[in-house]
Amino acid sequence: MSAERTLLHMTAPSREDFDVAYHDIGPQGQAPKLALVAGLHGNELNGVFVLARLASFLRRVAAGAHDEAQLLARVLVVPAVNVLGLNTRSRNWPFDGTDVNRMFPGYDAGETTQRIAAALLELTSQAEWRIDIHSSNADFEELPQVRLCESTEEERRAARWLGLPAVIERRANQTYQTTLASAWRSRGGRGLVVQAGHADSLQSHHCERLFRALIDFLERAGLLVGVRLAEPEEDVQLFGPRQSFPLISEHAGWFVSRLEVGQWLLAGELIGYVYDGFSGEQRAEVHAPVSGLLAGIRRQPLLCEGDLVARILTRHELGEVADTYLMGHGQ
Amino acid sequence: MNVRQEIFFALELPFRERLALERTVFEGGRGPRVAVVSGVHGDELEGLYVCHRLAAWLEQLAKQRPDALLGQVELYPALNPLGLDTLRRSVPIYDVDLNRSFPGRADGLLPHRVADAAMRALAGAALVVDIHASNVYLREIPQVRIARAFEGGLVPLARRMNLDLIWVHEAATVLENTIAHSLNARGVPCLVVEMGVGMRVTPSFAEQVVLGILHAWRALGVLADDVAIDPATHTPYIAHDGNVHYLNAEVSGVFVPSAAHWMALGERQLLGRIVSPLRGDVLAEVRSPVEGVLFTLREYPLVYEGSLLARIMETRR
Repeated sequence: MSAERTLLHMTAPSREDFDVAYHDIGPQGQAPKLALVAGLHGNELNGVFVLARLASFLRRVAAGAHDEAQLLARVLVVPAVNVLGLNTRSRNWPFDGTDVNRMFPGYDAGETTQRIAAALLELTSQAEWRIDIHSSNADFEELPQVRLCESTEEERRAARWLGLPAVIERRANQTYQTTLASAWRSRGGRGLVVQAGHADSLQSHHCERLFRALIDFLERAGLLVGVRLAEPEEDVQLFGPRQSFPLISEHAGWFVSRLEVGQWLLAGELIGYVYDGFSGEQRAEVHAPVSGLLAGIRRQPLLCEGDLVARILTRHELGEVADTYLMGHGQ
Repeated sequence: MNVRQEIFFALELPFRERLALERTVFEGGRGPRVAVVSGVHGDELEGLYVCHRLAAWLEQLAKQRPDALLGQVELYPALNPLGLDTLRRSVPIYDVDLNRSFPGRADGLLPHRVADAAMRALAGAALVVDIHASNVYLREIPQVRIARAFEGGLVPLARRMNLDLIWVHEAATVLENTIAHSLNARGVPCLVVEMGVGMRVTPSFAEQVVLGILHAWRALGVLADDVAIDPATHTPYIAHDGNVHYLNAEVSGVFVPSAAHWMALGERQLLGRIVSPLRGDVLAEVRSPVEGVLFTLREYPLVYEGSLLARIMETRR
C-alpha cells in the first residue's frame, strides 16, 4: 500500500549519487488522486517537515495502524524537490543558483533544474488534485494561506477545504508563469498553492495548522475517512486581489514589532516602530492604515526604504493597490 | 562638450548608508541621446570595462574634437552596485534578479525602484546597449541577442556593432521583465550584448565592442561623420533557434575542453571530455552534432547532469 519511489536519480561530480524521492501511499493500481509537493525552495522548511510527518501518518493509516481511519485513494507526497538546496540551506539549486520554481514546464534533456522540473510535472500531473506548499522568504512571516491565481470555481471551493484562515486571489503575473502551479494550470487539472510562515526555520504552530489543513483536505475530498482532529474548524475568509494592502515603509532603519500574524487590526492601530540603527532614536511609529487581518509581518529588523513591513487583508475592496508585493520570494 | 558625473537614484539603507546609483554624462550638441548600461548582474564585469574604455575615448574626444559629439552619451556602468560589491548576480538583501524586475515601479521594493529609475533615465534614448557577461559557468563570444518581435528595428543596428554573432531568438515570457524587453516595448531601441565570462574582464572583447559601439553612434548621428574610428574588424553570423545546438552534460563530473572557443568544428568533432575526479576513466566524450562554430563554451569545469557545456551555431545546412 505504500512505497518509497525515485522521481529522479542524479549523479554528482564529486560525491555519491542522490535521489529526488517521493512517497506513493494508498491503493496502488489506480491513478493518484492527490499529489503534495514541498521544498521546491530548499530553505522553506515548514512544508518539507509537514509533508514528511503527513507521509508517516498516511503510511500508518494505509497499513491499518489506525483502527477507524482509512485512506481510500492513492496519494503522492514529494517532501523536498530541491534536495541539494535543503541540505545546504539554500533557496535555489545551489550548484548553478537557479530557482527550481522558475523552471517549469522544464525539459528532460535540458539543464539540471529543467530536468527536475520536467520529471516533477510529469509525476504530479497524473494526480487529480495537486498542492504545492511554500513559505515566505526569511524576512517576512505569512499567515498560513491558500493562494489562487486564475482559478476555477472548483479550485476556489476546494481551497476552503483546507480550512486555513485566508484564501487570497491574485492576478496573473509574468514572474509566476514558469512556476509549477502555472504549469499545472496549463496542463489542466486542479492545483492549489499554500504558503505558511517564513523560510530558514521551522515555526511549529504554523506546521501544526498546516498538518490539520491537509488532513481536512483529504477528508473533504473524500480521500480519507475516520480521522478526528481536536481543533475546531477555522473561519475561512476569501480575499480578492483588491483586498490585500501592502504596507511599505518609507523609512530605513530597524523595524520592531510584537504583533503575531492572524490577528485582526483596526485602522490606526500600532504595528511597530522604526528606529535609527546608529543613534537608536525612534524614527517612526508604524500604524495600520486600514482595518483587516494581519496576514504577514516583517521579521527581519533591518529595513531599507521601500521595504514591506506588513500585509493586511481587508474585508472590503480597496482601490488600486500594488499586488506586486504578493510577489515575495516565497512562492 | 560638458562632462559630468551624477547620482540619478538614491535610496536609504538600514544603517547609515544609502545606495546611490551613478552615471557619467557627456553632453555635446542637440543630436540623439545614447546610453550604455552594465552591471545589472553583480557578477558580470565586462561591461564596466567597456564603459571605462568609452569614457576614456570620449574624454580624449573632449580634448581634441569637442565639436564632434553631436548628441549626448550616458554611461551607467553599475546598475547593481551592491551585487558588484558582494560578487553576487542578484540584488543582495532581496536575492532578486534585477533583470527580471523591469519595468519596475517607483513605490516598489528596492530592485523595482532601481528598475523604475533606470527606465525613467533611459526614456527617449536613440539607442541603449545593455552589456552582459554570461555567468561564471559559460564563456560567450561577443554577440547580440534580439527577441524576434524586435528583429526588424534592431538587426540593422546590431550589424554595425562589430560583433561575431547576432542571435535572433523566440520570445520567452520570463524575459519580458528584462531591461531590454521593457525598453524596446516602450520604443527605446535596446541591444543586449553578451560576451566573455562572469567575474572576469576580457580586454580584447571589450575593444571589439567599443569599436562597434562607436560605429553605431556615428551612424546614428551622435558622433560627427568625420570622426576617425578604426574600421570594423568583425562580421556577424546570424543565429536563430533553428541553427543553434545545445550540448548538455550526460553525466556529472569534470569537463575538460579540447576545442577552443569560437573554433570551427566538423560534425562529430571532439569538444571535450567529462572525467571522474575519483577514477581514471573518461565518463563521456562530448562531440559536435553538426558542422558549425563554437560560440558558447563551458568555463567552470564542474558539471552536473544537464549542465550546459556548449552552444554551436550550425554553419552548413
